[in-house]
Amino acid sequence: MVEQSAKPLDAVFRALADPTRRAMLRTLAAGEHNIGELAAPFRMSFAAASKHVKVLESAGLVRRRVQGRRQICRIHPAPLAAADNWLHFYRGLWTEQLDRLDALLQAEDRAASKPPRRVSKR
Amino acid sequence: MNTVTVTHHFTASPERVFDAWLDPQTAGKWLFATPTGQMVRVEIDARVGGRFVIVDRRNGEDVEHTGEYLEIDRPRRLVFTFGVPKYSPLFTTVTIDIEPTPSGNEKGWIAILVGLAEHLAEFIAENI
Repeated sequence: MVEQSAKPLDAVFRALADPTRRAMLRTLAAGEHNIGELAAPFRMSFAAASKHVKVLESAGLVRRRVQGRRQICRIHPAPLAAADNWLHFYRGLWTEQLDRLDALLQAEDRAASKPPRRVSKR
Repeated sequence: MNTVTVTHHFTASPERVFDAWLDPQTAGKWLFATPTGQMVRVEIDARVGGRFVIVDRRNGEDVEHTGEYLEIDRPRRLVFTFGVPKYSPLFTTVTIDIEPTPSGNEKGWIAILVGLAEHLAEFIAENI
């Protein structure tokens, strides 16, 4: 079962809803980068990149440390596992529900097609 | 926002598939039911803004499933929020679209859309 509070997971999903932030995370999955390096592929300002990093950081997906004048970012993938569990749980739940509904409707059809002592309408 | 999608083919008519979600007697036989559980409460207020409460007793433990209907368009579309407060405070929006399969008239397919990103799932698959 999925047992976790909504807020952290909401923050993860919100953080991942943005393509720039997903791209930043992909970059960070390959290794540590500073904010300037994360901003470079998007031709965005340091301030704009820093804002994205803050969203990732508050979702627990990125850890940041200051090294001299630089802010070094590192991916923290644990919340992704929680999000993955969540997706997996819901996909499984609904797949199971639909299978059960289908089984019920088919059982009703079978019961209707062989009524014990009635003439069946076909 | 993109979504998680689950699809299932049904041979039953769209009306039967649709009504199975909102008719308490039918819903009580399958919706949130478990093979060993016992359905102890099925309340369905089938109108927009109405709520449902479905309680399945599992090993003596009551598990409540609840939500609110957002859109009811028989037999094409049903949208509701859904949560299991006992296990998670998360509520998701579930959209069920029932559409005919391209080749047949009677065969429908069902899509369950949970409000989450498909590429999110891909992203997670790539990154963990």
